[in-house]
Amino acid sequence: MQFHFKNADAGEDVATKTVALNPHASLQPQQPSPYVEPKDAHEVKLQNIVATFSVACELDLRSINARTRNSEYTPKRFHGVIMRMHSPRCTALIFRTGKIICTGARNEIEANIGSRKFARILQKLGFPVKFVDYKLQNIVATVDLRFPIRLENLNQVHGQFSSYEPEMFPGLIYRMVKPRIVLLIFVNGKVVFTGAKSRKDIMDCLEAISPILLSFRKT
Amino acid sequence: MSTGLKCRNCGSNEIEEDSARGDRVCMNCGSVLEDSLIVSEVQFEELGHGAAAIGQFVSAESSGGATNYGYGKFQVGSGTESREVTIKKAKKDITLLCQQLQLSQHCADTAVNFFKLALNRNLTRGRRSTHIYAACVYMTCRTQGTSHLLIDISDVQQICSYELGRTYLKLSHALCINIPSVDPCLYIMRFANRLQLGSKTHEVSMTALRIVQRMKKDCMHSGRRPTGLCGAALLIAARMHDFNRTIVDIVGVVKIHESTLRKRLSEFAETPSSGLTLEEFMTVDLEREQDPPSFKAARKKDRERIKDIGEFELTELQRQIDAHLEKDLEKNTNTMLRKLTKFTEVEATDKGSVASNRIAENEIELEESRQFIEQSNAEVIQHFIDSNTEQKTDATHNMVAANIEGLRPDIEAICRVTQSDLEDVERAKQSEETELYVEDLNDDELDQYVLTEEEALTKMDMWKNLNAEYLQKQKEREELLAKEREEGKPERKKRKPRRKPIGPSTTAGEAIEKMLQEKKISNKINYDILKTLTEGMGAAGEPVASGSDANSKPITLDELQLTPIIVEEGPIKTKRGRIKPAFDLPGPSRKRGRAEASLPTADLTPKQADTAEPAVVLEDHDDAEYDDVDEADDVHVEPEAEPEATLHDMLNKGAVGDDDEYGYGFEEEEY
Repeated sequence: MQFHFKNADAGEDVATKTVALNPHASLQPQQPSPYVEPKDAHEVKLQNIVATFSVACELDLRSINARTRNSEYTPKRFHGVIMRMHSPRCTALIFRTGKIICTGARNEIEANIGSRKFARILQKLGFPVKFVDYKLQNIVATVDLRFPIRLENLNQVHGQFSSYEPEMFPGLIYRMVKPRIVLLIFVNGKVVFTGAKSRKDIMDCLEAISPILLSFRKT
Repeated sequence: MSTGLKCRNCGSNEIEEDSARGDRVCMNCGSVLEDSLIVSEVQFEELGHGAAAIGQFVSAESSGGATNYGYGKFQVGSGTESREVTIKKAKKDITLLCQQLQLSQHCADTAVNFFKLALNRNLTRGRRSTHIYAACVYMTCRTQGTSHLLIDISDVQQICSYELGRTYLKLSHALCINIPSVDPCLYIMRFANRLQLGSKTHEVSMTALRIVQRMKKDCMHSGRRPTGLCGAALLIAARMHDFNRTIVDIVGVVKIHESTLRKRLSEFAETPSSGLTLEEFMTVDLEREQDPPSFKAARKKDRERIKDIGEFELTELQRQIDAHLEKDLEKNTNTMLRKLTKFTEVEATDKGSVASNRIAENEIELEESRQFIEQSNAEVIQHFIDSNTEQKTDATHNMVAANIEGLRPDIEAICRVTQSDLEDVERAKQSEETELYVEDLNDDELDQYVLTEEEALTKMDMWKNLNAEYLQKQKEREELLAKEREEGKPERKKRKPRRKPIGPSTTAGEAIEKMLQEKKISNKINYDILKTLTEGMGAAGEPVASGSDANSKPITLDELQLTPIIVEEGPIKTKRGRIKPAFDLPGPSRKRGRAEASLPTADLTPKQADTAEPAVVLEDHDDAEYDDVDEADDVHVEPEAEPEATLHDMLNKGAVGDDDEYGYGFEEEEY
């Protein structure tokens, strides 16, 4: 089985551009797309990325809230300022100590740009901002393996890593030790990865889990 | 008195037991066999204020010492261990809970044993006792296969069932109790009894059971609550037996939402079994198993998506070509197959007509080829059947051995240190740049987010209005704090985190290390020198220590390279250490001498050399067990290991003559 991450943006862009530029596109032989998808490949989609960093200075949350359009601050409910952004679409939680959590980005580049944009906004408000300890904390990804899985048997054999209680949650929770990732495995072959720190973690995890899941395939 | 006992001295069984004095005397030779006996009868004596029982009650579980009745109030100075009190209380509560759930006393005992295990592993800390009790009872229910749901127990205990579920998972995982998955069939009987079906309860539940079995075959049960399936099955079964149970009735019994039940029903309706008539369903077992409904739904969605894309890309022509091709293909296969296998019809119509000989010849040819094909097919099938019967016994054997096929977890791969780990450690060392890089950011866009002075003022006002309550509270708190500071009250101390219990360590060196980490005993000790003491004990101590650290992430690169690739070595070494006494007995004298002189770690190195041989035998024996056996179970392993060791000793004793090393040992014994 092969897996790859979605890189739809690049491929689509090229395709639409050629169509737009050439009015006789329909007459020409079809151009091969720059990336040919392997037939048996499964697309791993990144769903959410959480990054943390620090601006290394104390922040006045009230003034941040007052002077920005895209923020909300209700100290009764939550001790940080919640700031949102349109492009890349992501949300930051800004704390008094200068620590910032950026969530909601769809890939690593977006997370990085988003984080720096938030820092830049704070800089514009006049805080002596630095950009310290940027780190990806969590990556959530999904993949559809397109075959049904026998969760009961998987739970029986891998009991020390998994827990499957349909009374509480319909999926099987598999805590992989290496790489340290938690997987939610559903009967319809869809798998959710959480807790990864990099793309490589997810690919390693998939490499380890896919033969196992294949052996528990429902035929 | 014939108590079935025998005197140790003369062998007479005339033994007198005096319960008043509490001793047992042989009437033949007069020797006192036992004194201060524990009696199981109650006697009373008259006191000034009335009658009182003589002596003390001793419970079956007490570990010696006095236990007082009516614990709780008079604990102080009564010599009762607090742990004993905890267990007693747990026992009482668990028994009560089991009675409420109509579980047998046996189940209650099992649950108490689970509780004791949890207590020994310190899993009860930081959790509510009600949760722990309930989790223990639920674990018992699951292992015994009773028809109790998580929600029943949480209902009785008045706690959140998800919270309880979390506790239960934690406990069962930490105690390495492999619990079988829920089987929805268990709950049928129970729900059927509550549906007031009268004398037909059994029949209905049998039908429902059959329906659930069918649902299981069609994979409807995985990822679904067992109650939903049971509800749907019971509804169908009740109606099959002419009861007019409505969905609402069922919902009241199985406690799931109506829409869930409807969904289960419609999912069952989509399986081929639902197309059977009632009689057929009770007699026919369809061979084919269906994919799980959620899987089918996902594929359907996929197909729709592809269709959407397809309409965009595929031209009308392409679709037509496809359709044509398909039709052609169908026609081809149809005619070929029909001609070859189902020939008779054509033959009948053609025979009468006075057609050309050519056609007839052709037909004869086809007829012959058809016969040939059938014959050879039959032969092949026959051949297969013959060869299969021989292999079948083998196959069934294999099936019994591994009735659940599928890959097992690869422990070795989990423990291996890979290149990427090393890289991670390297990367962690490097310091990153701290300046904000803003070259590629669009400032105009970001300026939109920043408000002007006026706007800022209005937003601040609005915010102050909205959060007036909070601001007021904050002000009050600050005032209070300032007041306290003025009065000179000491700042509130933070609670110290509870110490983690020190687990059993494999070597003395490790124990010392752990203790040192725990707390500094005295500042008059030079700890560096103490460390060098343990380091000097030999190379064998080192891998053991690093092996036990392997669970935590290695901090430095050097440390990481030191860690052994397979960490399983740790526990095996433990075993070696434990068995050591067995080898020690006939062992050479010089080694024993050294063992007495220094710490146990020191003699591990020389010992390894000559225990290597038997150790390998033992490893093969218990390796598999050791993977999941935890400290609590160590007791069971020990006696198992010993006979092996003694057997080895016996063998060595036989070959004493030519083995000079062991001979040396025996000389020592004589001397």
